Amino acid sequence: MEQLVEELKKNIIEVLNLEDLQPDDIDAAAPLFGEGLGLDSIDALELIVMMEKNYGIKIKDPAEGKEIFKSIDAMAEYVAAHRTK
Amino acid sequence: MIAKLADNIYSPLGTTTLDNYRAVANHRSALRRYRGERDLPEPFTASLLDRDALPRFGDGYTPFERLAIASVADALGRCGLDPTGGDVLFILSTTKGNIELLDPHCRGAWSDERLAPAVAARVIAGHFGNRRAPLVVSNACTSGLCAQIAAMRAIGAGTCRSAIVVGADLQSRFIISGFQAFHALDTEPCRPFDASRAGLNAGEAAATVIYTRADLAPADAWHATRGAIRNDANHISGPSRTGEGSFRALQAVTQGFDTVRLAVVNVHGTATPYNDEMEAIALDRAGLLDVPVNTLKGYYGHTMGAAGVLETVLTMCALDHGTVLATRGFNTLGVSRRVNVSDSHRPTAGRAFVKLLSGFGGCNAAMLFEKGGER
Amino acid sequence: MNIIKRVTITPAGAAIDGYPVPVDGRGMELLTALYRHTAGDYPKFFKMDPLCRLGFVATELLLDGDRRNGCDDRAVILFNRNASIANDRRYQATIPHDSEHFFPSPAVFVYTLPNIVTGEIAIRNRYYGETACYILENNDQTIIEEIVGQAFDADPATTSAVAGWVDFNTEVDFLADIFLALKQ
Repeated sequence: MEQLVEELKKNIIEVLNLEDLQPDDIDAAAPLFGEGLGLDSIDALELIVMMEKNYGIKIKDPAEGKEIFKSIDAMAEYVAAHRTK
Repeated sequence: MIAKLADNIYSPLGTTTLDNYRAVANHRSALRRYRGERDLPEPFTASLLDRDALPRFGDGYTPFERLAIASVADALGRCGLDPTGGDVLFILSTTKGNIELLDPHCRGAWSDERLAPAVAARVIAGHFGNRRAPLVVSNACTSGLCAQIAAMRAIGAGTCRSAIVVGADLQSRFIISGFQAFHALDTEPCRPFDASRAGLNAGEAAATVIYTRADLAPADAWHATRGAIRNDANHISGPSRTGEGSFRALQAVTQGFDTVRLAVVNVHGTATPYNDEMEAIALDRAGLLDVPVNTLKGYYGHTMGAAGVLETVLTMCALDHGTVLATRGFNTLGVSRRVNVSDSHRPTAGRAFVKLLSGFGGCNAAMLFEKGGER
Repeated sequence: MNIIKRVTITPAGAAIDGYPVPVDGRGMELLTALYRHTAGDYPKFFKMDPLCRLGFVATELLLDGDRRNGCDDRAVILFNRNASIANDRRYQATIPHDSEHFFPSPAVFVYTLPNIVTGEIAIRNRYYGETACYILENNDQTIIEEIVGQAFDADPATTSAVAGWVDFNTEVDFLADIFLALKQ
């Protein structure tokens, strides 16, 4: 799981162009949206694409993303349980 | 002030303004469900043209240019304007122009140059023998109004005597896949302002309006009297929660105008949850909740760069027939303000209306139109 | 209309009223260096497409000293030739016909419009006034000044404008040539 958390941090920094951040700057338990990383609705949509591209997980309704993308830890748990690749 | 000389709508519902009005008056919609179309993995609902039926005008024009030329040709045929004069300005409203040429399946032998919208505009204007540098307005979904505002300003400033404003966009794999990735499309026909609305539909069309100095047009012509463009300064894709830009644009064009005279506010009404709610808030803030409101997206989908021209021209034609058109797809009010949505074709004696649009980049535009002469 | 300041950026360097801005780098690296030199604390910059990055840093240089944060009387009126073509090509690459690799990117798609740069500038400075994007074949100063002048004359709400040419074709072919204009 720890490896997956690290992998998700790296992927998120890359796909969301968080240029000035290092993986260690991201608290895996902290909320991803809202104040934290300054992510917005477009970032949420891009995370949906990342989930399908990297892990074969299709999220049909962006509203579902709210729970899944709560924190890196929450994402890692969801990916571990649902990944098809 | 500027006045309308002629117009056209070229859409799946018809190739003249009158044919389009009759189709809509008869409750027809061009929205169809497509599966596998444009080589897209997911099905979608859209209003698409029959490409084979587009006039060719020889071999030198792309499908996008053919569509725009067909619309301009019909409008020019309805007025005596000589399009070759140096005092005639071509204004093209488009969001994506020839963008489908980026797709290897559509590329053909066209050169890269054609991807530049101003080159496409020169080709279109050149077809009519107009050699003046054309202007392209590309302000996302507000382009069609911004282009008419550009015409008002150019004619008002005397840099041209007449302006041919043509709005056009084709629906490519490029655009539809993008809106799918945005989860902005309803897989069913859209339901503007409805409680169950779930997104927009894409649409293909071109529309033309030809304007000239008011003193050169018949007294009973439609006049474009005011226009305003305002930004939300909030987000590049999400509508403002306070309707900031739309409110400010509406306020600018209705200030000091007796809104009882308005037959209708023809809004954007794309049927995305956020857009329609944003417009409801803007209408409320601008004091326009009593005025009938309609949107034409249920007939045509969202025709992008054509929308501002098409929806203006069709609203003019409907008011000429004494009608405020119904909002197709609307059933139960699903926004937080009591917007007076026109749910059926309603008779009207009104001779003025406001047209409102908003788009990506936080832009919003509104115009006020008034019919001249006496009823 | 009174033009009070002008900023130009090419792949080789930037200048304010003809005086070079002391930053190193070429192409996209130059734009990043200019961002560090000006704003520095606006991470959204790295989410922007190349056209927006160009318009953003040009405007940061232009507005240094006269930002008027949160006003509704300053318009943003930009012109270019190549619309959003550099980013359009990036988006096209996310939608190949081979379905294995078909992953349309919303974050790239949102920048496939040439007016987004006017929105980014409005958001950065909270400008609620007019924003507009026009496309011409060439950087024709006469037409540009004519249209900006008409915007002042036609809309009484507009008293100043960030305006001019912001065009991005490729990393070695781009130009910002913008100015700050006052109505009087």
